[in-house]
Amino acid sequence: MTVGSAERAPVLVLGLGNTLLWDDGTGIRLLAMLEQEREWGAGVEFLDGGTQGLALLGAVESRAGLLVLDAVGSGVGGAVKRVDGDDLAALRAQRSTTAHEGNALELLEAAVLLGVAPKRTIVVGVSPVRLTTGIGLSDAVEAALPEAVAQAVSALMELTAPPSLP
Amino acid sequence: MARKIVVDPVTRIEGHLRIEATLDEGGKIKDAMSTGTMWRGIEVILKGRDPRDAWAFCERICGVCTTVHALASVRAVEKALGIRVPQNADVIRNIMFLTQMVHDHVVHFYHLHALDWVDIVSALKADPAATEALAKKVTPNWPKSSEGYFRDIQNKLKKFVESGQLGLFQNAYWGHPAYKLPAEANLMAVSHYLEALAWQKELVKIHTVFGGKNPHPNYLVGGMASALNMDGDNAVNVERLNLVKQKIQEAFAIVEDMYLPDLLAVASFYPEWASIGGGLGNYMVYGDLPQRGIEDTKNFLFPRGVILNKNLNEVLDVDPGEASQIQEEVAHSWYKYPDGKKSLHPWDGVTEPNYTGPKPPFKELDSSQAYSWLKSPRWKGNAMEVGPLARVLVGFASGKSEFKEVVNEALGRLKAPPEALFSTLGRTAARGLETKLCIHWLMQAYEHLVTNLKMGDSSTADTSLWEPSKWPAECKGYGFTEAPRGALCHWIHIKDAKIENYQAIVPSTWNASPRDGQGKPGAYESALLGTPMADPARPVELLRTIHSFDPCLACASHVFGPDGERLAEVVVR
Repeated sequence: MTVGSAERAPVLVLGLGNTLLWDDGTGIRLLAMLEQEREWGAGVEFLDGGTQGLALLGAVESRAGLLVLDAVGSGVGGAVKRVDGDDLAALRAQRSTTAHEGNALELLEAAVLLGVAPKRTIVVGVSPVRLTTGIGLSDAVEAALPEAVAQAVSALMELTAPPSLP
Repeated sequence: MARKIVVDPVTRIEGHLRIEATLDEGGKIKDAMSTGTMWRGIEVILKGRDPRDAWAFCERICGVCTTVHALASVRAVEKALGIRVPQNADVIRNIMFLTQMVHDHVVHFYHLHALDWVDIVSALKADPAATEALAKKVTPNWPKSSEGYFRDIQNKLKKFVESGQLGLFQNAYWGHPAYKLPAEANLMAVSHYLEALAWQKELVKIHTVFGGKNPHPNYLVGGMASALNMDGDNAVNVERLNLVKQKIQEAFAIVEDMYLPDLLAVASFYPEWASIGGGLGNYMVYGDLPQRGIEDTKNFLFPRGVILNKNLNEVLDVDPGEASQIQEEVAHSWYKYPDGKKSLHPWDGVTEPNYTGPKPPFKELDSSQAYSWLKSPRWKGNAMEVGPLARVLVGFASGKSEFKEVVNEALGRLKAPPEALFSTLGRTAARGLETKLCIHWLMQAYEHLVTNLKMGDSSTADTSLWEPSKWPAECKGYGFTEAPRGALCHWIHIKDAKIENYQAIVPSTWNASPRDGQGKPGAYESALLGTPMADPARPVELLRTIHSFDPCLACASHVFGPDGERLAEVVVR
């Protein structure tokens, strides 16, 4: 391990979304809940990325692990979703144009393009119900939070687990 | 029968914008409609809140420019309460402002707009040796220009194209006849695209230093929250200031040695675009970068003013606090005004949605009816263009020497007359020219701050009016700035220490505005008239003009209807 990497947490938890648009802000709420869930230590950094895109590239570049918390897709409102591995690549290939969803995928694409993509990326989120102007979460999303946090905890455990010996 | 093009949503922008354009027999646009397809009302959220907290909510309005909304918000509250911020606060705010401007403009050029001019896929056909020769001519001071370097980039690009992972490059029309650059120039542009991508993440570290965190830096009513102490551990100290200086120097190289030479080189291949896309010819700038406090508007680095009908011999004054000057109309917007009111100043502004359009998904909208979630802001009844071109023209027409210098130099290099500025190319060039000014001003602001610190002035805030008990029962204020995309202003009405009303007119509302009550079109609608379209199914020419404004509808409007997941769609009828 180099001196440089010792200064920076190997794993980033990135909350994305707009807290002024009801369920769009789910990722930011999950971020706060996950951070308080337990003592994660210096190996994990938590960042509220809002709806930023490329400007977050410096935050995600070359991390060993990246956990993105976000409002994910449409489907049944309040459904907890986890996306990683090949599914994420497929999502990138057919990305939608929703303002911040585009940003999150664009960010990952930019990291891939520069060869600084995190070694492993997992996305955990909840399907939104309400995306109009306002602060708070819909009942369905609120009810899904404990399950979403549990999934985020296990995803983060996977990302922070010491690599198994060959 | 006239052919119609619908581009919905316009890609490579922030937020949702729909353009409907009708073509004449010769394939030129003869009518255009600009529609914000999502509604958002920040005032709904802010009513009843503590005015000192408003900036933190406003920072979330926009997906890109968090800082400019925070700045407009704290200035609005300070204006209402009569607070004068210390000089260091203005200097730090100027540093934040300039960092945002430089970042945003470089990212716009390389990552949003370049794909309208550069055919990425054509770069695969380039000869790396010839690319080296070209790069040494166009960007002689930029170090990465060897044949081997360009070959590596080409191989990398080949891998992406072969794997079908065009990713960031997918929203363009590769192979379109409107692309004019030779393959080598395209390869050079791809390399610079990647270099700018890697660089932009570094520049924003300046926001972290002064704002405590990023992407949502801290602002403060009364000044800035940055603690300045050259020798402290947890303050903006020598070490952090050195980091800021280093980032400014890196930005200098990017702007002077790469961005501007690239911009002029690309422009030289598209001379016809200096007579397309001019539009309204009315330009408005609130001004910014105060040197002696925000009230002294005569000492802004970006001068304030209005130009009407392309008349560069006269710069008129603009006052955002004057009710007769700035008015918003809703004749063609999905909003309702009380008692048959036709237009309102933002202090009296009302945001009551009243959707009367067809049930989505719809085929077309009717320009004789309401057709946008954007209101129509007007200055003394005139539709205005805001943004880099407006700022450069007002600076130029005001006789400011630094503006005249950069404008005359660029026109000389391109052998173009001043009228060439009133165009799509002029808009894109103006963005580069003001970036050059901004990077110099950024270094000056940094040096100013360091000088103040060495003189022992580390004050960054005036909190003497922090307590609501010292406020009047009722007051009004406005806070303006020049966001990267143009004139931005927030208007606040405070009553009993709470927000009674809050309105924002963002730059893209001016530029993307629908027609007003007199049928006068907005800036996009006007700029599109006369644009030739080689292949309407692939409307790259339309996108050139729209992208030249750097549209950002994320702050102007938001989610509407169930169509949020629709993929980019171009319909030709």
